[in-house]
Amino acid sequence: MNGFEVISPGILTLIQDKGRFGFMSKGITPSGAIDEFAYLWANYLLGNNLDLNVLEIAFSGLTLKANKNTSISVTGADLSFSINNKIYKPWQTFKIKDGDILKFSKNIIGQRAYLSVKNGFLILKEFGSTSTTLKEGLGGIEGRALKKGDVLPFIDSLSLPIKRLKSIYQPDYNQALKLRVVLGYQHENFSKEEKIKFFSKEFRVSKEANRMGIKLEGESIQADIDGIISEGICFGAIQVPKDGRPIILLKDRQTIGGYPKIGSVLSVDCFKLSQAKAGTTVTFQEISIEEALLETKSFYKQFKI
Amino acid sequence: MIKFNTASVDSFVISFSNEISLEVSQMIKFYFQEINKIEYIIDVIPSYTTILITFDIFNISLEKLQNQILDINFTSNNQENESTIIEIPSYYGEEVGLDLKRISEINNISVKDIIEIHSSQIYTVFTIGFAPGFAYLGQVDKKIATPRLDSPRRIVKKGSIAIADTQTAIYPQDSPGGWNIIGLTTFNMFNKELDNLCPLSMGDKIKFKPISQAEFINLGGEI
Repeated sequence: MNGFEVISPGILTLIQDKGRFGFMSKGITPSGAIDEFAYLWANYLLGNNLDLNVLEIAFSGLTLKANKNTSISVTGADLSFSINNKIYKPWQTFKIKDGDILKFSKNIIGQRAYLSVKNGFLILKEFGSTSTTLKEGLGGIEGRALKKGDVLPFIDSLSLPIKRLKSIYQPDYNQALKLRVVLGYQHENFSKEEKIKFFSKEFRVSKEANRMGIKLEGESIQADIDGIISEGICFGAIQVPKDGRPIILLKDRQTIGGYPKIGSVLSVDCFKLSQAKAGTTVTFQEISIEEALLETKSFYKQFKI
Repeated sequence: MIKFNTASVDSFVISFSNEISLEVSQMIKFYFQEINKIEYIIDVIPSYTTILITFDIFNISLEKLQNQILDINFTSNNQENESTIIEIPSYYGEEVGLDLKRISEINNISVKDIIEIHSSQIYTVFTIGFAPGFAYLGQVDKKIATPRLDSPRRIVKKGSIAIADTQTAIYPQDSPGGWNIIGLTTFNMFNKELDNLCPLSMGDKIKFKPISQAEFINLGGEI
């Protein structure tokens, strides 16, 4: 079947959708698009169902050749996206014709771009999802990242009018991050002084950052205990290992762990964090669970979920 | 008495106890099965003394969900345990049980006795995690309990049976690891061909059944 042919796979291009749920009790990480803001907009702009799969393009180097006509959208990081060598900004839809060459050639701002195609890619779900989990070899194409020669099939679609997200709604991935935190019950294992430090000092995104989690550098934060009896880990959980450098756990996180956790970063803020480059300044702000609920609901309501 | 603890905007932890025990594990297994029947649950992770629940905040409130959980009536069911012991064919040869000697030296016990003790116990799956299908099995007899290696191996072979302190496990795939390896099995802990990915669940009962090298090879084992 026709679709996009992968001419060059780039550094790390993965098929992702909302994620694979219900298997965490077997040790299976949920995966899914790490920046849901960009992922949801990619589908929304095309009028797709919001849970359809997309390409998550980390850094640069992806080149695709279209073998049929369609419409696509590109959101998230600006990776100098071009069609037949003409460069375009992300956060909009594009008409694609048979023979077009699509390229993501240079990392300008952000870490991951999303490419959605009208009606999604025709890829079989594994255990409820097409999301690629490299560690488990699940989802995507044979459980791996894209490689040269892969074909990403999609069905024909009518040409759509061009849609673009207003620039005021487009995130600025170069900004310092203020991450909102819901305190978890283990915050009792951190002294008052350590908590004050955590919420007042500046941290930086370190180079140890991937789909599993992002480690921060800066002031060392110490828990009163070395560890806890291993328990389930939620999205955005802030683990504080003995070295005192907090780790924020994301979509490919391990399912259980025994490091003390001070709380969790609001999921909608994790999406921004996933686009931050090493060295980005991070501060934390405590919010109540009620505020967190309102913020989360209003985030998803913009997509009429 | 169960206790609810905040984890995030759409998840919370149920704490059952501060101590690991078989009784707690049995209770968690029961709650895990009951909680999975509740509507608008996204994912459930049972562990040694806790269950983490992620739920759909658009369709159910925290309060309503927690009330439904409080309505669960725990009834212990001992008969079930007797009938469902899963047997793991285990080859304890010294050429594959790379740390049998180490365990023998540390605990001052013969290799024969290590195998005898390890394979006579019925183990419980306390939790699954670390890697897909990696089941933490307890409790290992104190006579053969051995701390992790000082420096982990870069690759532990898939199917390796191993001990760390009072826990034992089977490596679901080739991976780095610091547990003491005592044997090999062909039992598949993680397989995409299985409809539930991993044949074991939290609370299941396991027994290691010693087999000869010939039987191991017959089962498709490679040394």
